[in-house]
Amino acid sequence: MSEPSILAEDVSLAYRLAKDMAGSMKEFAINLLKRQVHYQSLWALDGVSFEVPKGEVFAIIGPNGAGKSTMLKVLAGVLPPTSGRVIVRGMVSPLIELSGGMNHEMTGRENIVQFGTLLGREPELMRQRVDAIAEWAEISDFLDNPVRNYSTGMTSRLAFAIATDVQPDILLVDEVLSVGDEKFRRKSTKRIEQLMEAGATVVLVSHNLGTVRRMSDRVMWLERGRIKMIGPADEVVDAYEASI
Amino acid sequence: MASTIYDSSAPQRPIIDPFVHMWKKRGLIGLLVGRDLTLRYKRSLLGVWWTVLNPLLTTLVYWFVFSNIVPRSGEGEAPFIVYLLSGTLLISTFFSQGVVAGGSSLMSARSILSKVRVPGEVFAVTASMAAAVNFGIGLIILAGLQVATGWGIPWTVILVPIPALAMLMFVTGIGMLIASAAIHFYDVLDFVRVLLALAIWTVPTFYPLSFIGEDLLLFIKINPLYSYLTIFRGFMYEGTFAPTWNFIYMGTSAVAMLLLGVWVFSRSWKQAAVRM
Repeated sequence: MSEPSILAEDVSLAYRLAKDMAGSMKEFAINLLKRQVHYQSLWALDGVSFEVPKGEVFAIIGPNGAGKSTMLKVLAGVLPPTSGRVIVRGMVSPLIELSGGMNHEMTGRENIVQFGTLLGREPELMRQRVDAIAEWAEISDFLDNPVRNYSTGMTSRLAFAIATDVQPDILLVDEVLSVGDEKFRRKSTKRIEQLMEAGATVVLVSHNLGTVRRMSDRVMWLERGRIKMIGPADEVVDAYEASI
Repeated sequence: MASTIYDSSAPQRPIIDPFVHMWKKRGLIGLLVGRDLTLRYKRSLLGVWWTVLNPLLTTLVYWFVFSNIVPRSGEGEAPFIVYLLSGTLLISTFFSQGVVAGGSSLMSARSILSKVRVPGEVFAVTASMAAAVNFGIGLIILAGLQVATGWGIPWTVILVPIPALAMLMFVTGIGMLIASAAIHFYDVLDFVRVLLALAIWTVPTFYPLSFIGEDLLLFIKINPLYSYLTIFRGFMYEGTFAPTWNFIYMGTSAVAMLLLGVWVFSRSWKQAAVRM
C-alpha cells in the first residue's frame, strides 16, 4: 500500500548532439568518408534518484538548464531515460508547455476532444465534457472558431482546462502557474489546489520560490543535472536562496 | 487507476506490443484520421472535395498528355481514363502520399510527442490510414467513371479490399521505416521523394505495359508495386485474376514490410523527443 507514486532510480538522460554536422544524410555521408563522425552527449540528467510518496507535493528547483523540465518530461514518459529507471503509478496529467498541445487550425471544440483523447481519455467522454471545459476556460462563445484566432490567454486557459478536467493521480506542473494574467493565475492555482486536496500527487517545477515554499512538502534542488540537495521545502529553499 | 503504471524499463515484446498499442488507441487513431482528412483542406474554398478532385485533376492532366501518344487497340480494352485513374489512385494517392505522410509523421507530431505519452505508432498508422481513406473515396469516382463510360463494374470489385489491405500494410511499413530514419536525418524525405518518383515511373501507372520493351519488362516486374497494381486493376474493372505470382509477391512484401517497419519503428520512435 505504501508504494510511492513516483520512483526515480539513478536516472540519466543524454541529449545526443551531432558535432560538426547538422544532421542531414548528405553531410553524414561526407563526414563518414572523411571519418569525422563524432557525437557529443549533453547530460541533462546525471544519476538522479528520488521517491515521491502518494499525495505529496514535490517541487523541483534550480537555475535554468539544471534539468528540471527534462526531469518532468522523463516522469511524463515522453523522454526515455538513457540509463536508470522511473516508475510512475497512476493516471498522469501533464501540464507541460500546455498551449503547444493545441492544434491552431482546429476549433476549440475539436481541440477539446482531440487533446483529451491524446491524454488517454475516451473521445465520447470528451464530447460530453466540451461545454463544461469551455465554460471554465471562458471560451464558450468562441468554441467553434479556430484556435489560431484565440488570444494567448484563451489558448492557455483552454489547454489547462482540458488537462485538469479529470482528477488525475499525478499532476506534473511546469511553470503553468506563471503564465497568463493575475485572474487566470489565481483561478488555475485554485484548481490545482483542489486536485491536490482530492489526493493527487504533484510534481512542480517553478522559479517562483514563494509558490514552492507555500505549496510543496519537499523540494529537490537540481544543478547541472545532478541533485544538489533534497529535503523539506523550507530547508532546501533557504539553502538555494543563500546560494544565489 | 492502479492499472496505469509507467515503467521506463518495462520489457517490450518486439512485434506484439506495438500492435497492442495501436489496438488500444484505435479511438484516437480514428479521431486523428478524421481530422487529417478534414484539416488538410480546411482553409480552402472547396474543403474536403479536394480529396476527390486532386486525383481526378491529376488524371485529367495525364489523360491530355498520354491519350494522344498511346495507341489504342480499342476492342476489349478499358477506357484509357479508367486505366489512368486506377493507377493514379493506387500509386499516387495511396502509396506515394501515404509513404510521404507516414515518413513525416513523427516529425509532425513532435510537439505532441514531447508533452504527452502517446505511442508513436499512432501517428504513423494515422498517416497511412488517411491515405487509404482518400483512396477509398477516389474509388467511388472511379466506379462512377466506369459506369459513365459504359465499361461497367465487374463482380470482382468486391475483392478490391484484398489489394487495398495489402497496400495499407505495405505503406504503413515503409512509412514507419522512413519515419525512423527521419529522426536522425532531416533530409531523408527529400531522398524519399526522388526514390518515389523512380518507383512510380517504373510501374505502368500512366503508360500501358506495351510501351515497355522486352528487355526492361523484368525490371518493371521486380517492383512490388507492379503486382499490387495488376491485382487491383484486375479486380476493379477488368474482372480478372492476376497471375498467382503477383498474389504471392504482394502478400509477402506487405507482411514483410509491415513487420520490418513496426520492428524498426518501435525501437526508435522514442528518440524523436530526445533529438533536438
